[in-house]
Amino acid sequence: MKAEIKALQHAMERAGYVAEPAIATAVYLAREMKKPLLVEGEAGVGKTEIAKVMASMVGCELIRLQCYEGLDVHTALYEWNYQRQLLRLKIAELDGQDPATLEDTIFGREYLLERPLLQAITHEDGPAVLLVDEVDRADDGFEAFLLEVLSDFQVTIPELGAITAVHIPYVVLTSNATREIGDALRRRCLYLYIEHPTLEKEVRILRSKVPGVSQQLAEQIGRFMQALRKRHLRKIPGVAETIDWAQALVQLHCEHLDPTIVAETLGCFLKDEHDLRETHKEGLQALVAAAEGVESGP
Amino acid sequence: MVEGDLVLHLARFSGALRKRGIAVTLKDELDATRAMPLVDLLDRREVQRALEVTLKIRPRDRAVFEEEFARLWSAAPTDPPESEPPSQPNPADRRGPPRWVWDGRRVQLGASQESPDHPEGDTPGYSPEAVLRRRPFEECTAADLAAMERLLAMAVARLATRQSRRYVPVRRGGKVDLRRSFRRAVASEGDLYPLARRDRSLKDVDLVLLCDTSGSMDPYTRFLLTLLLAVRRVVRRTEVFVFNTGLTRITRMIAPGRVAATLDRLAKEVPDWSGGTRIGDSLAEFVTVHQNQVVTGKTVVVIVSDGLDTGETVRLVGAMRAISTRARAVIWLNPLLGDSRYQPTARGMQAALPFVDHFAPAHTLDALEKLLPILANS
Repeated sequence: MKAEIKALQHAMERAGYVAEPAIATAVYLAREMKKPLLVEGEAGVGKTEIAKVMASMVGCELIRLQCYEGLDVHTALYEWNYQRQLLRLKIAELDGQDPATLEDTIFGREYLLERPLLQAITHEDGPAVLLVDEVDRADDGFEAFLLEVLSDFQVTIPELGAITAVHIPYVVLTSNATREIGDALRRRCLYLYIEHPTLEKEVRILRSKVPGVSQQLAEQIGRFMQALRKRHLRKIPGVAETIDWAQALVQLHCEHLDPTIVAETLGCFLKDEHDLRETHKEGLQALVAAAEGVESGP
Repeated sequence: MVEGDLVLHLARFSGALRKRGIAVTLKDELDATRAMPLVDLLDRREVQRALEVTLKIRPRDRAVFEEEFARLWSAAPTDPPESEPPSQPNPADRRGPPRWVWDGRRVQLGASQESPDHPEGDTPGYSPEAVLRRRPFEECTAADLAAMERLLAMAVARLATRQSRRYVPVRRGGKVDLRRSFRRAVASEGDLYPLARRDRSLKDVDLVLLCDTSGSMDPYTRFLLTLLLAVRRVVRRTEVFVFNTGLTRITRMIAPGRVAATLDRLAKEVPDWSGGTRIGDSLAEFVTVHQNQVVTGKTVVVIVSDGLDTGETVRLVGAMRAISTRARAVIWLNPLLGDSRYQPTARGMQAALPFVDHFAPAHTLDALEKLLPILANS
């Protein structure tokens, strides 16, 4: 493995993100090639976390744009501060000034409310990390708009003219694949798909994220989750759920898993009524046995 | 090792991927070329990871990618090149020392002057082992197909739109829009004519198609395929699944308008075509694995099946309940329903009926025409 990638992997680990080589390689390439990184994967596998870790590694600001259906330019890019503009006009009127002469003033930068995309572009001290979260939730139209911003890193505001990026930000886009991302956007980015972690990785994540969890308990939890994910569930629990659960178990001073404590804390990682019912029905014994490592089969 | 060799190799690798149905564009190849100098070329795994990232390999394509990588990248250059100019690779250039050659089927070490039989580019053709060749779809004439497609396109367009709650100005039809009429009248000094009108706008819906490809559905294969292609052409947001004893997502395999290539790909990728049916299990799998991602409140789910099931009905009922709760409408097209002797007594069909919004025949063009008004009201 190339030394730089290895170094990056260690740096990510120090920042609290257990990265396998695939993730480190993708982040490294995105950084070196100055391309946005599109991260896909099931809920809770640590997609958003990548951007956060990148920000803390580079030591810069994380600018986050949460996507949702109906997200528009005013929330994503910029908006004029109408109240302030009106106030300014009112004051000018009281002073007896002609409002028409103020036009240049009230359409200046200080009357502009910068939203995440513009913030990322105009960020002064060094490149920022721009996280466009759950881009699949926004409509296709917004995707097309994003494409424009991401390819030129330039934004045109009619009253002000074009604003070009001072530093090209590191961009991370995440998607839960609730909708297929358009090919054009996908092609603009580098692509990374994150799987549910392996047992070894999950244990390492637990050890680093949950202080107070013993190696033995972490391994049991890991094996339990691995066995659980093999079942047909509606919502497969991700690492985020595993961490929640481990924290809960530590709070309860639980040293090892047994069916009673698992049954009591099932809600930490199963968040669907159907899944809860099915798991109860099929019995926790087998899962707990798998967690003990007595029987490796699910 | 000549610098250009890596580029050439990359181009050939991408070509092989394209042949296997993974869409790799020139832009992706350029990305890959730019990434190569950034990674350790001696580390095969790292090269593979870098290619996955730059060629945008999705999880569902990963198996094929790994297979091709194992076959083709064994002859990868072992010397790191100084820097790779992102030049446009020219796959036709095959002179030089002997090297691994991809002939469209396997890799062989050969004199590179022997250019492979398959020209570079997309010429998929039928594969001899394609099960589908022996299907009635083969006998279908072009005129037949065209007629069906026109009808289907109409049916699908109806299916794929719904009235929104929002009113938009229209030229004709709809209701009189008084507000806009008066507003216009101001401009024309009180002349109210012509009146402005407004109507509910049309909104796209999403479609999910679940097609039965078991043995009992064999005679309707051509209908199925035409339907799939027509749907894909009209509705952008369509997800297509086929089921027999298991469930396969084939959305990406059916490219609009390329029947031959589609057939070829389907024959290769869908396991157990013309096998038995386990509708219940397949739909249950759909519900657990895919439903959350593809079915929303504006999705119409269309199931094409004869309802002859060999699985348990309990699972079918559970799955149908889950689907009908989530989807905007569930339409079941049953080819057997056209037969006047047929009663929907098949156990599976009986069990599923309560959860179906529209139950319609779909065996001939005639039946499809009758389907149109039903869809219009859904």
